[in-house]
Amino acid sequence: MSVIKAENVTKTYNETKVPVHALNGINLEVSEGEFTAIVGPSGCGKTTLLNILGGLDHPTEGNVEVADTNIGEMSDGKLIDFRLQNIGFVFQAYNLIPVLTNKENVEFIMLLQKQDKKTRNDRSMDLLTQMGIAEKANQRPSELSGGQQQRVAVARALASKPKFILADEPTANLDSKSTATLLDIMAKMNEEENATFVFSTHDQRVIDKAKRVVTLVDGVVVSDETK
Amino acid sequence: MILKIAWKNVWRSRGRSLVVIGSIVVGIWALLFGSGFMNGFLVGYMANIIDNDISNIQIHNPEFKKDLDIKFYIENGKDKAAAIRTWQGVKGATTRTVVSGMISSPKKASGVQIRGIELENEAIVTSLDSIISEGTYFEGIKRNPVIIGSKLAENLSTKLRSKVVLTFNDSQGNITAAAFRVVGIVKSSSLAISEMYAYVRQEDLTRLAGLDGQIHEIAVITDPQIDEAGIVNKYKETYKEDLAETWKETAPELAMMSEMYGSMLYVLMGIIMTALVFGIVNTMLMAVLERFRELGMLMAVGMNKMRVYFMILIETVFLGIIGAPIGLFVGWVTIYYYRVNGVDLSNYSEGLEAFGYSSILYPYLEPNTYYIVTVGVIITAVIGALYPAWKAVKLNPVEALHKI
Repeated sequence: MSVIKAENVTKTYNETKVPVHALNGINLEVSEGEFTAIVGPSGCGKTTLLNILGGLDHPTEGNVEVADTNIGEMSDGKLIDFRLQNIGFVFQAYNLIPVLTNKENVEFIMLLQKQDKKTRNDRSMDLLTQMGIAEKANQRPSELSGGQQQRVAVARALASKPKFILADEPTANLDSKSTATLLDIMAKMNEEENATFVFSTHDQRVIDKAKRVVTLVDGVVVSDETK
Repeated sequence: MILKIAWKNVWRSRGRSLVVIGSIVVGIWALLFGSGFMNGFLVGYMANIIDNDISNIQIHNPEFKKDLDIKFYIENGKDKAAAIRTWQGVKGATTRTVVSGMISSPKKASGVQIRGIELENEAIVTSLDSIISEGTYFEGIKRNPVIIGSKLAENLSTKLRSKVVLTFNDSQGNITAAAFRVVGIVKSSSLAISEMYAYVRQEDLTRLAGLDGQIHEIAVITDPQIDEAGIVNKYKETYKEDLAETWKETAPELAMMSEMYGSMLYVLMGIIMTALVFGIVNTMLMAVLERFRELGMLMAVGMNKMRVYFMILIETVFLGIIGAPIGLFVGWVTIYYYRVNGVDLSNYSEGLEAFGYSSILYPYLEPNTYYIVTVGVIITAVIGALYPAWKAVKLNPVEALHKI
């Protein structure tokens, strides 16, 4: 069952002045439970594609369906609610809320979903345990290493039980050991919880771990390999 | 949790928040003290005029107000005054025989209103005996004693126990003159008392003016919590032939000053709150701008714009909620201290007294002013947060997430 379906997606910046074609007719389908890496050189359109798949940006042309819903025509307000219920995000710079504890950071998404306190508490502790940082639950993000912060970010992304998780260069700021740990955890979540991950990356270690690798060059899919 | 995040965000940049809270505290303090100071001037001025001069209520023959002629007296005035003294809420009532005339010393002369007073009742109603700065309250001189104001004594170049001559028209229209001796000099910030009145015993004046105990004015002082309009209405119902007026009608300029003070409070509040709004906008804008990426993340993961908007508003309201009670308390303490001890403006006493103000000022605020200021500060905080909050919700999450 496909959770993402992009058809002939193009994205052009500065349409009226000097047009920059970031994406040129992308067709991509991602099924539930995939562990997909979108790779390519800098400026090839990886982040733009992820933003469009995640409903953070609108395509200039083409359709994007997430869980059988066309998100290209949604208003910004509806997209925010749609993202809350359907999409998890992991950012390169973690982007945790510094004034909250790690557990509260994970709980926050569920609070926006109006889940009850017990559910929030149980799921956040369960996820932090799976990430191997349960003992850091009541500490602030600033008290954790980069790798640990990114694990909190993954737990936050999973907390809302999204249809898929988009991770934009999640290992770019991490050392080798932290990268390996994070990838192992994400792979485990993919295996055990059937969580769907879509990464943008240049990191060979992520590419090696991915089950499917989609390569972009100049906004065009030049290869799509499933291992 | 939005409340919790907002509260923690307030303390994220402790120094900056403290500066805003400090400016709220100073703003409220300045507003309260400024208002209390202004109100103190007004209340002191009005108290001087009402307590020592015009009283809460004055009663005249309606014609006397138009033409201060000796023949326009109040029928059975003394009986009416005696009746009023028995009414609930009336602290005292006194009668006066009033004629216009001249006062002259061997050196100079001046126009004057000669007031024939009942010594005991006058002391109750206007406390005239308590503002004697030199001499006595009609004691020590048996024949024709007169009390005059300090400014009038200065103008006449006369002094205590000196002789002055009062000249006026008697009830028959004949010019009458009599020698009086200055028994006391009163000092008051009221220009009328200080410069325009000569107080004599009522029996002396009526005898010289050829009156048979008739009086022209009844002055009534009421209990502070009593609405004088009620007593005036009762008087009008009982004695329809006379003109009874509250101090607001006797001295409309005082009533106008009182209303103007109310407007001035709002003007002062507007000025201080406007300055405060700019401070809050500046601070909250900085708080939003430096959290662009975080706010972008919140919107990316599903926090809707309304929640982001309210989070910024709540952060600002928190600043107001912390600053307002401190400012109110500091303002209250300052006003309380100076209300007890007074603000000594004796360096400027000559100028102040020339305008009828006292040189010791007692700041005073109505309790509802604190309420108005509190509501004003909360509204100011919300207004100050509107633009930064709007700026936050206008964020494009994609751009915000890539801000360095």
